[in-house]
Amino acid sequence: MFNIRKRRMAAAAAAIAASAALVLTGCSGGSGGEEAAATYDPDEKVTLNLAFWGNDVRAALYDEAIAAFNEEYPNITVNSSFLGFPEFWEKRQTEAAGGGLPDVMQFDYSYLRQYSENGLLLDLEPYLGNIIDTEPLAENILQIGVVDGETTGIPTSTNAWGLFTNPKLLEQVGVEEFEGGDWQDYSDWMAEVSEAGGGALWGGTDYTGRIQNFEIQQRAKGEDLFTEDGEPNFTEKDLAAFWEQGEDVRANTIPQQRLEEIYPVSGFDAALTTSELTWDNFGAGYLGNLGEGYTELGLVAPPVTEEGAKDLYLKPSMLHSIASTTKHPEAAATLVNFLVNSPEAGAIFGTNRGLPASKTMLEGAELDPLGQQISDYEDSIADRLGDAPPVPIVGYGSLEEKFRQLGQELGFGTLTVDEAVEQFFNEMDVVLNQ
Amino acid sequence: MTTFEAPRVEVVENALEPGSSTQPRRRVKRRTINTVIWFVVLLAFTAIVLYPLLWLFLSTFKPSSEFAQNPGLIPENPTFDNYTKVVEGIAGTPLWRFFANSFFIAIMAVVGTVLSSALAAYAFARIKFRGVGVLFAAMIGTLLLPFHVIIIPQYVLFNKLELVDTYWPLILPKFLATEAFFVFLIVQFIRNIPRDMDEAARIDGAGHIRIFFSIILPLIKPALITSAIFTFIWTWNDFLGPLLYINSPEKYPLPIALRLYNDATSTSDYGATAAVSFLALVPILIFFIVFQRFLVAGVATQGLKG
Repeated sequence: MFNIRKRRMAAAAAAIAASAALVLTGCSGGSGGEEAAATYDPDEKVTLNLAFWGNDVRAALYDEAIAAFNEEYPNITVNSSFLGFPEFWEKRQTEAAGGGLPDVMQFDYSYLRQYSENGLLLDLEPYLGNIIDTEPLAENILQIGVVDGETTGIPTSTNAWGLFTNPKLLEQVGVEEFEGGDWQDYSDWMAEVSEAGGGALWGGTDYTGRIQNFEIQQRAKGEDLFTEDGEPNFTEKDLAAFWEQGEDVRANTIPQQRLEEIYPVSGFDAALTTSELTWDNFGAGYLGNLGEGYTELGLVAPPVTEEGAKDLYLKPSMLHSIASTTKHPEAAATLVNFLVNSPEAGAIFGTNRGLPASKTMLEGAELDPLGQQISDYEDSIADRLGDAPPVPIVGYGSLEEKFRQLGQELGFGTLTVDEAVEQFFNEMDVVLNQ
Repeated sequence: MTTFEAPRVEVVENALEPGSSTQPRRRVKRRTINTVIWFVVLLAFTAIVLYPLLWLFLSTFKPSSEFAQNPGLIPENPTFDNYTKVVEGIAGTPLWRFFANSFFIAIMAVVGTVLSSALAAYAFARIKFRGVGVLFAAMIGTLLLPFHVIIIPQYVLFNKLELVDTYWPLILPKFLATEAFFVFLIVQFIRNIPRDMDEAARIDGAGHIRIFFSIILPLIKPALITSAIFTFIWTWNDFLGPLLYINSPEKYPLPIALRLYNDATSTSDYGATAAVSFLALVPILIFFIVFQRFLVAGVATQGLKG
């Protein structure tokens, strides 16, 4: 397939050169060429490398998107490459050190600061508003990709923290959907389900194992986890208070041992729990793992810490960035614009990369029921959405993992809250002083 | 070989040992009980060791959604879908292509490693050239160098040579005797071959090349086979090398392709992962079964002097 496209592109270029491209110009249309003419030579033959993470489904969608892109810009050959998420970053780290980063990359929020601060990503400022259309992107969405005053990434899509529920299981045990309320209400609701489930079904998973739940409780007090300068913005006391909630919660949720048995799927995937707090783009994965017996999920707002607080925020599920070493920044920016803004990309990807952030892309997307549900959900929490926290500190990923591990240890009862707090602060010390 | 013969001789002696008729019978009985115990213990260990493989095999018949609910051995709704899906491949590249890529890389690596290591080993073992000691020490030194130290410089090198996204970075080093372990293995092997043979050939007018191909090469066959088997298995399973150097999905070898079925950020196809993992194991399993006795022979003769 890739070969065929390459061959087709080579043939197209040759045909244009020979001025015998009647058929080709017929199908590519004139509009694309004119748009590009303002910034660079539309006939210049350019090859770009594009790298993304994902599975074969997403790879097929990118193939389709590149084909659509080539109809507009037949002079830009795009070689795509894809890997799973961990491998993707392993490869990027080596390429970054060796000066071989691909021109255009699907990028992750947690790595954005590290790569930007090391000067590996192109500042997109000169292309904003001309090659990259900023009209359909809300200001708070564009702000997400800004590190130290430079725009190094454009979000493709957004996620918000949400509470998934399993209506089918709830019906089985005869418990009503979670109606909203504070964390205590949520804990009580989980206890009700667990009791009705009688040791085979639980109301949820211990939420104190996820750093995001700590984050939204802190944000309710008006404090992000880390300051703009990357300094921690919470105390041992805050963290201890959060983990102490867990003691009560664990009595009413799925035991840690059961979770280990079914790892790598979660209790929610395995139809053992009726709720899970996570990013709202996890729905499709859940439905896939739950199997054919389950066709719909509930998606409601997470418990409220403080009434009226702006504790939630939109996170980019992914961004597009350009390597600073690219030889064709204009062409790369054109590709980014197509992948981020075009209705064609919206129609092709749907919600595969998360809910489209750009208005034009969202209009092009035909949302499936789940996508529509996520879109409605993000609308419904509008009054709880605050500004996104500063771009995550370098090493945030490993801290998130440490938090999860400590949550597990607390679940097993092998650590006390105080010990866990101490370990987390030690780890943070190491990460911050790297 | 002498180690194998020694116990056999003993057995014969025991059986033929004359004496009272009760003594040998009791001894036979004890040996039978011992054998039974040994078999039971070994079978238990084999079962433990083989369980993951068996689980993997049976899991290839589970539909993906069953992985979450049924972690046990037996699939509830057996299906062949995983195999039909896997054979189609990923993103337009059929599965056989990944197999072909893996075979190509592995076979080239085997040829390169065996050929270059044998040549280098001959030079180290038989030719007295200037700096042989220092170079030999340096070669052994590379064994101590963790792979991770050289990843980036090597990447920079191949990137500058514009060989990224070709198989050259994976194959070229193998032809340059960079696998110090095998060079060392073969050096030790050659050192154990009596020099008289070389000298006889030299008197007959043979040069180094003739001596190497006609005298040494046939004699070090066990070491070559050991190197070949290890190289094949290591290259077949190598993940990091292809991950760093190969960009185009249609050039991926199997280990990379395997991971594409299992994406943590969206839906993971566990059934397909199990099926393709099992298929990827088959060649190496066959390879191992066929060459196993050579492997043992190669390693066993290594320890013998003279």
